[in-house]
Amino acid sequence: MSGYFEDLAARLRAAGVPEQRVAATVDDLRAYLGDSGTDPEEEFGPAAEFAGMLTTGAEPPAAEPAPGERWVWTADIFADRRRLNEFGEQGWEVETVDHLGRFVCTRAPDRPQRWEYRREVVAPADRERVGERLAPDGWEPCGTWFFYAYYKRPKAALVGPAAELDAPPPRPAGRVFFSGRFYLFVAVYLLVLVPLVIGLRHVFPGSSLGWDLETVVGMIVGLAAGLAGTTVVILVAERRHRRRQGR
Amino acid sequence: MSPMTADRRASWLKGVLDLLVLASLSEGESYGYQIARTLADAGLGQIKGGTLYPVLNRLEEAGLLATEFRAAERGPGRRYYRLTDEGRRTLDEEGARWLAFDESVRAVLTKGRSR
Repeated sequence: MSGYFEDLAARLRAAGVPEQRVAATVDDLRAYLGDSGTDPEEEFGPAAEFAGMLTTGAEPPAAEPAPGERWVWTADIFADRRRLNEFGEQGWEVETVDHLGRFVCTRAPDRPQRWEYRREVVAPADRERVGERLAPDGWEPCGTWFFYAYYKRPKAALVGPAAELDAPPPRPAGRVFFSGRFYLFVAVYLLVLVPLVIGLRHVFPGSSLGWDLETVVGMIVGLAAGLAGTTVVILVAERRHRRRQGR
Repeated sequence: MSPMTADRRASWLKGVLDLLVLASLSEGESYGYQIARTLADAGLGQIKGGTLYPVLNRLEEAGLLATEFRAAERGPGRRYYRLTDEGRRTLDEEGARWLAFDESVRAVLTKGRSR
């Protein structure tokens, strides 16, 4: 069923139907099928034909749509959902999550609409099944990061045209949003694990364990260093970015 | 119902469906599926969403219907339709024309059958 509505929505958009109207139409038609219990193609006919009948009189796009704003940012796992919904309220739509785990967003230049987000812990093999479960409520996938799958939904699906923003706020100044919990996590990680590793070296000066202690020690120290190093790199990059913007 | 009878009924419906939709909203707002049910319960047969929605769209574009999308507590929201003042005026005027046409058809058919 979701394939039919995705196809229909794409055709309506291509015909110049505004996004919130597309979302409301698809929702309304889904509700219709919920009542009738029929198949979409049987009830409405082929998506291409039905879209044509719904768009008689709709204004086709006069030209290429004006490019929207683009913004890439990141947040830690403790803050990502709160930040996503905060920025979604400001009209930012996540297009994807890049290989560095950053949210790649766009915002329409004229009357953008608000978005809401959710995150699910999903094994890659289960993504399709979870996507199908969430689709009837208007959620669509917008990116993955390891076992985290992110979903977006236009607010128009809930509140209709009221989801439009008349005066969206300016783009947030920052691009990295680490929470206090994240810094606490890093601090605890370093404070607990590093002394633990040093202690282990004293307790087991040789390699009498079942596996190579030096390897374990190296691994833990490496993890700690990696985590600390990544944090430093991200913070330095952000500071440089801000400095460049300030020029 | 033979295919020819079904085709004829479809043609009749095509000419009057917009008025039937307007009439189904004369007592208050409604949504797509409920409008289809109202018309089916009146004996007009099951009208598919693929036929009904384009009519609703045209009536809305013509300013005869106003719409409001409402979220549902669970599941997708619905678009509710209601008559505008112009829609009510159109229903009165065009409805009267249809009834006059119907009366003429009825008179001819009745005369033909009584021979």
